[in-house]
Amino acid sequence: MAAASSVLEDGSPLSRLDRALYRLEMGLALISGLAVFATMLFAVVSVSGRNAINMPVPGYVDWIEQLMPLIAFMGIAYTQRDGTHIRMDILIGRLSGRALWAAEFITTLAALILMVLLVWGSWEHFLRSFDFSRPLWSNDSSIDIALPIWPAKLLAPVAFTTLCLRFTLQLWGYGRAFLFGLSAPVAVPMIKSAAQQAAEEAALLGDNGNREA
Amino acid sequence: MEPIDIGLVVSGVMVLFVLFGMRVAFAAGMAGLVGLVWIFWAKFGYAPDKLGKAITVSVKVAGQVPHSKVSTQALSLIPTFILIGYLAYYAGLTRALFDAAKKWVGWLPGGLAVSTVFATAGFAAVSGASVATSAVFARIAIPEMLKLGYDKRFAAGVVAAGGTLASLIPPSAILVIYAIIVEQDVGKLLLAGFIPGAFSALIYGLLIVTMALTLPKFGPPVGGFSWGERLRALPPAMPIFFVVLIIIFFIYNPFGGDAWGTPTEGGALGAFVVFLMALWKGMRWRQFRDALLETAKLAVMIFTIIWGVLIYVRFLGFADLPGAFAEFITGLDQSPMLTLILILLAYAVLGMFMDAIGMLLLTLPVVYPAVMALNGGEMVSAADSAFGMSGPMCAIWFGILVVKMAEFCLITPPIGLNCFVVAGVRPEVSVQDVFRGVAPFFIADAITIALLVAFPWIVLWLPAQV
Repeated sequence: MAAASSVLEDGSPLSRLDRALYRLEMGLALISGLAVFATMLFAVVSVSGRNAINMPVPGYVDWIEQLMPLIAFMGIAYTQRDGTHIRMDILIGRLSGRALWAAEFITTLAALILMVLLVWGSWEHFLRSFDFSRPLWSNDSSIDIALPIWPAKLLAPVAFTTLCLRFTLQLWGYGRAFLFGLSAPVAVPMIKSAAQQAAEEAALLGDNGNREA
Repeated sequence: MEPIDIGLVVSGVMVLFVLFGMRVAFAAGMAGLVGLVWIFWAKFGYAPDKLGKAITVSVKVAGQVPHSKVSTQALSLIPTFILIGYLAYYAGLTRALFDAAKKWVGWLPGGLAVSTVFATAGFAAVSGASVATSAVFARIAIPEMLKLGYDKRFAAGVVAAGGTLASLIPPSAILVIYAIIVEQDVGKLLLAGFIPGAFSALIYGLLIVTMALTLPKFGPPVGGFSWGERLRALPPAMPIFFVVLIIIFFIYNPFGGDAWGTPTEGGALGAFVVFLMALWKGMRWRQFRDALLETAKLAVMIFTIIWGVLIYVRFLGFADLPGAFAEFITGLDQSPMLTLILILLAYAVLGMFMDAIGMLLLTLPVVYPAVMALNGGEMVSAADSAFGMSGPMCAIWFGILVVKMAEFCLITPPIGLNCFVVAGVRPEVSVQDVFRGVAPFFIADAITIALLVAFPWIVLWLPAQV
């Protein structure tokens, strides 16, 4: 079910950077996915341990809580790359040419400023629980089995930094499109109409349908 | 400026950015952060040298939100439910389900259409994604219906409408999201969705049978299956029943005694069974990797909106916008029921233009407290309340109503996505055909929602047992 990418590619430096970052993003997203699978296995082991041999996994909830940021943050730039983060495109879908690229540029710039500030804010949040002089470098720990919390907190600024890189590339892409009046710029997600989206979804599932039959 | 005015201005600007295509998650986060800066700076009397301090404080407040809000165990249900959906394709559950439904209910008038509705309801239950469900069944069920002489518009409408049953039958990711945002018990909400979901499927079924008896555009029933054939059709579809039942049993034990565990554990067990089934059906690393990547993408998308909106909510708390809105709503000179119906209608309109998850997350922080106030407050007893139910029960009831509303919008023009998907899969039907074919279900849904509003016990009976 790999989604057909809606991002155009060519041999330009921008597109090459886009694809390089994409490889990193995909790796991080795969970590997110594996973390989902791990939480599932963990819960299965925990529940069967508790009910079958009366031996619950110690600190089960603590571990899940430490895994959650891995799931929630690592794929954030991957999701932005092809425009999966939800938005309302009923208005912007009617724009085209320079008006469209200008609108995209402004909203992306606003999002970039937000994320730069949040890298700072989440880094501060991490710093409050991180201390080299303490055991496990940790100022705080989870309730049940005292896992250090700073590694999970560190994931937010790290993932947000990759998102900032992604936004920067997209600004470059939109900026180029605006300056040169391009109709099909590289390295930015193209807006899909509901019909296009549906056709792609259908094509994707078609592959599975054939496999199933 | 008073905080409430700041709240209104900032929210207005946020809506403007959302209209101009800013991703909902970032628009909400930005509004929250800008609003916090404004409110803190106002507290410092707008002194120019204090702006830096206001920014620092706000960034620190907002910077805690992503980590602290997502590291909760209850939220792990969302990615698990999504994973079940993606694995279900590889486990070959769609065809198995359609086959079983055909053998069990195909003998009814309009039997194949009824089978389609029940099969979509069943598959929707595990996949949780309405759009995908419609796409899959458009491929499997429509050709069979056409072969039997069904009207093509009607056949397409059945599939588009069947897909909307996903959101209520557990596992439902959107109900988990609702529960998290309004801080209610996830288990009870999941449980509450079961009967209305099954009820919706039943209403669809009744509608089809009635139409088949009175209108000429239906194919003949498909009958003649022996009980042996019927029973043999069940095992391949079993994982679906397993997933639904296990989640229910992990919340509420109908045989008395304690529930078997938490909803999270139930969801995980269900996912594990579907995973094994997919392996057995020939899923390999490539497909598995794709399923993981897609799960990650959807989960991250949802989590990003959750923390983005929660930054906005943090600011709303300072601005007391929800309080003011609740005051306005309760001060209206009309019956609370009329106000509630107007709110639901507003959701129907909004849902025509906006994705369900984004719509609910953006509006609930303001609308939900108002609805609770309308009923008489979070802690009100059933006797003193406007709708005749306690605060927590009202939260569950309203949740089911708005989610049903959001699904309803998947089959309404102009952008009812399910209809586009069905038309996209079947080149011989146009979008207009699907919208026309789906119209009777549209009416059925309106009746269902009216019944759920008029008889809240349909929703509340099961969760009240816990």
